[in-house]
Amino acid sequence: MSTETQTPDVERGIVERLRASPFLSELLSNRLAVLGLTLIGGVFAVAIYARFAYDLGAITSTQFGTNPTEAAPSAQYWFGTDGQARDIFPRVLYGAWYAMLYGTVTVAASTVLGVGLGIIAAYYGDLTDNVIMRTMDVLLSFPSLLLALALVTIFPDDLGLWRAVAALTLVYTPRFARVVRGAALKVLEDEYIEATRALGATDPRLLVRHVLPNCLAPITVQSTLNFGLAIIDIAALSFLGFGASPGEPTWGMMLSNGVEYGLFSGAWWWSFFPGLLLALTVLGFNLLGDGMRDALDPRMREAID
Amino acid sequence: MVSKRFVAKRLLLLVPVLFGVATVVFAILHLSPGDPAVAIAGQRASQAFVEQVRTDLGLNDPLWQQYLRFLGDVATFDFGQSYQIQRGTPVSQILADRLPITIELAVLGQLAGLLFGLPLGILSAVKQDTLTDHLTRIGALSGISIPIYWSGPLLILLFAQFLGILPTSGRIGSAHFIDAVTGFILVDTLLAGDLPAFRSAFRHLLLPIVVLGIYQMALISRMMRSSMIEVIRQDYMRTARAKGQGEKITTMKHGLRNAFIPVITIIGIQFGALLGGAVLTETVFEINGIGTLLVSAINQSDYPVVQATVLVFAVMYTLVNLLVDVTYSVLDPRIEQ
Repeated sequence: MSTETQTPDVERGIVERLRASPFLSELLSNRLAVLGLTLIGGVFAVAIYARFAYDLGAITSTQFGTNPTEAAPSAQYWFGTDGQARDIFPRVLYGAWYAMLYGTVTVAASTVLGVGLGIIAAYYGDLTDNVIMRTMDVLLSFPSLLLALALVTIFPDDLGLWRAVAALTLVYTPRFARVVRGAALKVLEDEYIEATRALGATDPRLLVRHVLPNCLAPITVQSTLNFGLAIIDIAALSFLGFGASPGEPTWGMMLSNGVEYGLFSGAWWWSFFPGLLLALTVLGFNLLGDGMRDALDPRMREAID
Repeated sequence: MVSKRFVAKRLLLLVPVLFGVATVVFAILHLSPGDPAVAIAGQRASQAFVEQVRTDLGLNDPLWQQYLRFLGDVATFDFGQSYQIQRGTPVSQILADRLPITIELAVLGQLAGLLFGLPLGILSAVKQDTLTDHLTRIGALSGISIPIYWSGPLLILLFAQFLGILPTSGRIGSAHFIDAVTGFILVDTLLAGDLPAFRSAFRHLLLPIVVLGIYQMALISRMMRSSMIEVIRQDYMRTARAKGQGEKITTMKHGLRNAFIPVITIIGIQFGALLGGAVLTETVFEINGIGTLLVSAINQSDYPVVQATVLVFAVMYTLVNLLVDVTYSVLDPRIEQ
């Protein structure tokens, strides 16, 4: 913490306070990171809009008779229609909601699990550390998408895409655990930890109030980079046929159907638009994650791959 | 040079990891809700027959016995027989047929990634903060953001559907018959001395390699750029320049080797992503490697095949990382300490 935070913040405007933080000012001066932030903000707005503007039942059910099938993009159907005569435009927008929802849950769950395990491993050391970290090592010895594929089978079918979320949470957790353990070990060497302990702080208080806040930077970067990955992997699992139920307006499912039924009949728009939105969203998270990593203290950089 | 001790130590460390990997695979299969006995006997089989199959498979034995038997089977490469995909065929036989297909794809994808990624990364670093650098970086970032299951279909659309100059799927034209000697189709066609077949196989592989290679290229150029930027600032680079050596030779001779070391680590770590990418590429281009094998085995509850395929993927990943560690220690002997 810099001395800046000890001067009263109340009277200063938000812009000034942002400038006072070296991390944020560095980040906001990075044009690519700002572009990433804009992309994410845009997709987020679309997600919220679609969630409330469209009726899920109406855009999921087939629309034979109402719309033409596999109509090319036009003034009426901006992104064209699919083989079930559904208008693709609202479905692609609604896909943003699913991507954000499932992505957020996956990243949040693996962050919480990984942070917990990493901090505990670093703090208690010895046997605890070994048991936790060797387990993480084993999970890390699987190629991630392959492990997710195998794990998806554990969960019952009726969970739909939540199966993919659960599987990917388990797959991503070790990465967080590793990063956090490394960062926590560095923090634990600091003198204020010794001081806090001498003051009689309990273990949970010490970990949550003192160790965790000082590990936040690498955790945030890892989460951001993993967000893009989570969205790609969730869509990959539904592309391979695990997760979303037919007709559900998720990007992976639309892509899968569009490639399987639309590609050779010439209906390129069926898979093109969901893929485009997916790629832009992931690009947004990668741009932001990169910018965050660059804005961080260089010593922290090596902790994140 | 690598000391034998270092390699022996790394090999020894492999044992607990492989043991853990096998345990995870065993656990996953036993946690799956499906019943292997029903999968074999069929949905309409009588209760008694299902029970008979279950006893035959040893599924009624205590869990620890099943676990020990599983470890024994894995250690002797006995993965049992396929339930569904090629009913009755030993899983090891199916894997032996299909594994080379995936390896060929992955290796070529990786090579393509290196071939284009390394020069781009170096160019980006040498011309840091110029337009070339910015364009390369944005290109690389886009490369890792575009999913294979989108770029693949787009390329099929462009080159196969629209321009009609490349085939859409499969490994070789239907007019060619090639004996599988090595299993690598490019090698087999050459061994047979059949140049038209080689050409056909190469044209089939081109788009899959490009799709898989784009991602690798993006990763490698990013890593090479940041590694090269670090190296350019080092003292020994200044010394090399000071003694009158040309800028190009300095960059290539001293810079490249040192900058390449961290890139090797990334290649190892990202080999998992390469394998995941291979699964998706095989699905998009309908290539019968072990990626598509795994996907259909999961869909058809062919447990022995799922088990063996996941194990093989994990072992390949682990071995490549071992190789990376050893290569690393050759290039940078300090790492052994």
